[in-house]
Amino acid sequence: MNPERFRVMVSTVLLVGVSVSAALIAVGFGASFAVGWQGSLLGSPASSIAPTDFGDLPARLARLEPLALSQLGLVVLLATPVLRVASSVVGFALEGDRLYAAITLVVLAVLLSSIFLVR
Amino acid sequence: MIQGTPGTDLGIFLVSVGAGVIGSLAGVGGGILVIPALTTIFGVDIRLAVGASIVSVIATSSGAASAYVRDRITDMRIGMFLELATTTGAVCGAIVAAYVTASFLFLLLGLVVLLSAAMQVARLREEVPADEPSRLASALKLSASYPDRRLGREVPYSARRIPLGFAMMWFAGVVSGLLGIGSGVLKVLAMDGAMRLPMKVSSATSNFMIGVTAAASAGIYLSRGDVDPRIAAPVALGVLLGAITGARLLNRVSNRVVRMIFLPVLVAVGLEMIGRAAGLSV
Repeated sequence: MNPERFRVMVSTVLLVGVSVSAALIAVGFGASFAVGWQGSLLGSPASSIAPTDFGDLPARLARLEPLALSQLGLVVLLATPVLRVASSVVGFALEGDRLYAAITLVVLAVLLSSIFLVR
Repeated sequence: MIQGTPGTDLGIFLVSVGAGVIGSLAGVGGGILVIPALTTIFGVDIRLAVGASIVSVIATSSGAASAYVRDRITDMRIGMFLELATTTGAVCGAIVAAYVTASFLFLLLGLVVLLSAAMQVARLREEVPADEPSRLASALKLSASYPDRRLGREVPYSARRIPLGFAMMWFAGVVSGLLGIGSGVLKVLAMDGAMRLPMKVSSATSNFMIGVTAAASAGIYLSRGDVDPRIAAPVALGVLLGAITGARLLNRVSNRVVRMIFLPVLVAVGLEMIGRAAGLSV
């Protein structure tokens, strides 16, 4: 992979992550004005979950709750930098730069461990 | 604020657009604008304001970095190399957080930041530094060039004083793990001040890095219940719009203008740190 394509790949990962998250957040945000944050676009009864509780996301997404849509968007946004680092590992490896593929892999490992282990 | 009213939402959105523009140009996360605005103007709880600021940092970073990476202003090698320092530093910071007096650290950092602001004033006239690559810079491939559309030419650069820059970055990571503030400012200072990279490269590469630093602690804030979508949603949307706009501007302005935008941010962060040390929570 040449440096130009590598840059385009990383840039695209960031752009897609940002666009998907912005779309989800915007739909949830807009829908909150119609049915309220804890309401449902399918007309299900309003949930009583705390807005800061990100649990049980799939079930609440299935009911098209504005809160759940925005929460998923925020999770995608927070995951975008991780995806960017992961794609850089692949990019440096394909570019044949072993030193930087290794450096980036270490960064990814520290990043993942700090997300999942440090509590 | 319990339930967002349209007026409040619009206000938060507009403040966030401003934070995104300034943050993307200065290479910082915009927390310095978002947190005080949310707490003082909109009466948001400080805990939720900090949660929203983590979202704002990642939105600034990812929103602008897409353009900066494509335009070759971000140096991805320097960024990844220094992320080794910031991520390990952040883990150390989180571990020692229980044993350190935050107020003393805030005071010390505030003074350091204000001192660097004075040094920045002395360099306001500098457009691009000129240096030959050192052996370490060659070995680590920390020399490159970026296209400066304002100057209309390719500007070569090479990282100087790499061990010092790396150490400062590690410290920036410790600080963000410990205090969750000021990591963008310290990153720009490490690259611009210690490593003598061009201001635009420093700011764009810092912008690229802060998202990763923030993502490392985002999980903690999420699980603690500090991210409230009712506040974080308008912040994220506003900051993204601002960051994308700011990224378009960077190509058109000179390095000196970027430094002039960075300088007030630096002073504000320094004063806020000293204010926090003095117990005035902003």
